[in-house]
Amino acid sequence: MSKRKMFLRMITASLLRRRSRMLIALLSIAVGAAILSGLVTIYYDVPRQMSAQFRNYGANMLLLPAGESSMTRESAENALQSLPADALIGATPYRYVRMDMVSRQLSFTTAGTDFEQVMKTSPYFHIEGSLPENDREVLLGKAVADQLGMRVGRSMELTWQAGAQTAKAAADSASAAGQTSGEDTAADQAAEQDRQPGATLTGSAEGWQNALIYVTVTLDDESKIKTIDVDASLQTEEFGGRTATDEAFLTQFIGKSLPLTLNEAGIDALSGATVSSGAVVRAINEARAVQAGSAPVESKRTFTVTGILDTGGEEEDYIFMSLKDLEDMTGEPGRLDVMELSVQAASTEDLQKIADDINAGATAVTARLVKRVTRSETTVLGKLQSLVYLVTVVVLLLTMISVSTTMMAVVTERRREIGLRKALGASDNSIRTEFLGEGLFLGLLGGLLGGLLGFVFAQVISVNVFGSPITLQPLLLPATIAVSMIIAAVSCLLPIRSAVAVDPALVLKGE
Amino acid sequence: MKLLEIKNVSKIYGDLKALDNVSLHVDKGEWVAIMGPSGSGKSTMMNIIGCMDKPTSGEVLLDGKDISKESGKALTEIRRDKIGLIFQQFHMVNYLTAVENIMVSQYYHSLPDEKEALDALERVGLRERAKHLPSQLSGGEQQRVCVARALINHPELILADEPTGNLDEANENIVLDLFRQLHREGTTLIVVTHDPEVAEAAQRTIVLEHGKVAREIINENFVE
Repeated sequence: MSKRKMFLRMITASLLRRRSRMLIALLSIAVGAAILSGLVTIYYDVPRQMSAQFRNYGANMLLLPAGESSMTRESAENALQSLPADALIGATPYRYVRMDMVSRQLSFTTAGTDFEQVMKTSPYFHIEGSLPENDREVLLGKAVADQLGMRVGRSMELTWQAGAQTAKAAADSASAAGQTSGEDTAADQAAEQDRQPGATLTGSAEGWQNALIYVTVTLDDESKIKTIDVDASLQTEEFGGRTATDEAFLTQFIGKSLPLTLNEAGIDALSGATVSSGAVVRAINEARAVQAGSAPVESKRTFTVTGILDTGGEEEDYIFMSLKDLEDMTGEPGRLDVMELSVQAASTEDLQKIADDINAGATAVTARLVKRVTRSETTVLGKLQSLVYLVTVVVLLLTMISVSTTMMAVVTERRREIGLRKALGASDNSIRTEFLGEGLFLGLLGGLLGGLLGFVFAQVISVNVFGSPITLQPLLLPATIAVSMIIAAVSCLLPIRSAVAVDPALVLKGE
Repeated sequence: MKLLEIKNVSKIYGDLKALDNVSLHVDKGEWVAIMGPSGSGKSTMMNIIGCMDKPTSGEVLLDGKDISKESGKALTEIRRDKIGLIFQQFHMVNYLTAVENIMVSQYYHSLPDEKEALDALERVGLRERAKHLPSQLSGGEQQRVCVARALINHPELILADEPTGNLDEANENIVLDLFRQLHREGTTLIVVTHDPEVAEAAQRTIVLEHGKVAREIINENFVE
C-alpha cells in the first residue's frame, strides 16, 4: 500500500469515525460556503435583476429630434433597428400640442401617444378607470380632471387651432378689454353687443360653494336662445349638477330673449338647486361671443374620459389621447416630439453603448440616457454590491473563527493521539500534513455541500425579493469549493501549530 | 556487545535532579527491567532512552552512536528507526482498526504493508480481530496489538513502560509470554516497571532510587 493511500485512509477514518466533532466543523464550513456562494450568486445576478426592477421606474432612454425640428415616426423607428432584439422592452411615441376646451376657456398640453406602449415605458402609471382603447377617448391627468371636475365616463370637447392663440389667451384679452371700461355696465354692454343673430355665446358664473358653472348658448335669427348646454361638472351631481341634465329646466330657456331674470318670464329655479339655477341665469346674461380666432385650421372633437392618471408628476397636467386622434385633429401625421424607450441593459455602460450605437446610425434622431433613472440605478447597485461584499467578508471571518475553534478543540481532544503518532516516529511535517489534509477534506465536503445549499439559498432570495429565478453560474461550485478549502486550511493554521507543539513524552507518563 | 550505554547522565529540572550521574548499559539481546518507586527517575530515564528527551549532561550511546546532543528531528528519526514503544495505557488511535493502528507505525517508518501487519497480529494471536476498533477490544487485546505494533518495523530495542500496569493477571502472563518469545528471537527488551513480578521475568533488574542506580539484581532463576 502506498503512503498516499494510507494517508487518505487515516484522514477519511478520522472524519467518518469521529463524526460528531467533525460534523460541527463540516457544518460551519457548509453554512459559510452556502452563504458565500449564495451571496456571490446574487452579487452577480443583482445587476440583471435590478435592471429589470428599474424598468419599473420608467424609460431610461429618450429618442429626440436631432436639431430643432420634430422628428418623424419613421426615422425614430428606423433608429431602433440597431437595438439588440431582446433589449427593447418598450418604445412609446409622444407628440405634444396645446388643445383648448372652449366652453371653459382653458387650454391644456395634450399628448398623442400609443396606449399599447405606454405601460411598458411607464409601468408606474396609476390609472383610475382604464386606458383609452378606441378613437375619441382620452386619459386625463389628475390635475386636469380636478380642475375640470371630470370623472371617468364623462365627455368633453377639445378644440385644436393651428394658430398660436388659444381660447384662454383670447378670453384673457376679452376680459382685459372689459376691465378697461372700469364698470360693470361696460361688461353688460359688451355682452349685449355680442347677442347677434346666430351667435354662439359662452359664460360662467359661481354656483354652490363658489364652484363655476359653464353655459354655452346659440342664438337664432331673432337673437333668441336656440340651444343651451350647461356644464355643471364642478357641482355636486345630485344637486347643482342637475342643472346640466334636467330636461324641463333646460327647455324653459329655449326661445327666450336675453337678458333673463330668475323666477320671471317662465324661468324657474330647479328645486334643491336654487343657487346653481341662479348661476346658470347669470352665466347666460354675461355670456360672450366665442372668439372665432384667426386660425385657418380648426377642428373640434368630443372625447369620452376613460381614465384618470395619478402619478404625482407633471403627467397629471396633461391630457393623453391616441396619436391617431391627435394627428386627425392637427392634420400633421407622422410627427413626434420624443420617443421614450425602456431598454434592458446590464449596466449604465452597456446602456450608453446602445445609445451611442443609435446615434452613430441615425442622423434625424439622437438617443439620450435618462440620467435620473440610470444614475440612481448605478448608485443603488453600487450600494447593494458593497453590502454583499461586506457581508461576505464577515461571513468568511465568522466561518474561519468557527472552524478554527472547532479544530482547536479537535487538537486538544486528540493530544494523546498526536503524542502517540510522534512517539511512533511522526515528524512535525507529518502532523502538519495530516491536520491540513483533514482540514482540506472538510473544506472539500463543506464547500460541495455549501455550494449546493447556496444555490438553493440564492434561488429562494431571488424568487422572494426579485420574483424571478436566478441563472446558475457554472463556475461558482468549483470556486466555492476552492474558497472553502482555502478557508479551512487557513483556519487550521493555529490548531496545527498547537498540534505540532504536543510533546510525545506525554504518552509515556501514563496520563 | 552493548546496544545501549549511558555514561554519567544527569537530568536537572530547575532545582530537581531527576537523574544524578547515572551510568548503565544494556547488551544486545538482553532483557532488562528498570525498577524504582515514583520520583526515582524512572520516567526521565525512559524518556531519554526513548529519544523523547535529552540529558542535561552525560552521554547516551545507542548502537555505538552518541544521541545525547541530537536535535529533536534527528531523535524522532532514531526513535522511528530503532525503537519500538509499548505503553501502560496502550495508546491506540481510537478511530483506526487494529490492523490500521499497526500500519500507522509502518506509515511513519517506511511503507504501510497490510499483509505484514496482519502477520504481526497473527503473531500476537489477534488475526481475527484485525478489523476491530480499539473500543471493541479488551485491554489485554489492545496491549497485544501494541506489542505487534512495536515489533512491526523490526526495532533494535523494545522499550516498554509499565506494559502490564493496566492488565489483569491472565493478560499479564500473555504479554510476558510474548516478551519471552521476543527475547528468544534475540530482541533487546527494556521494561520499566514497579511490579516485582514483571521485573523478575527479566534477566537483570536495575533499581533506581533518588535519581541514582541503587542496585542491580541478576535474575538467577531466569529461564531462556
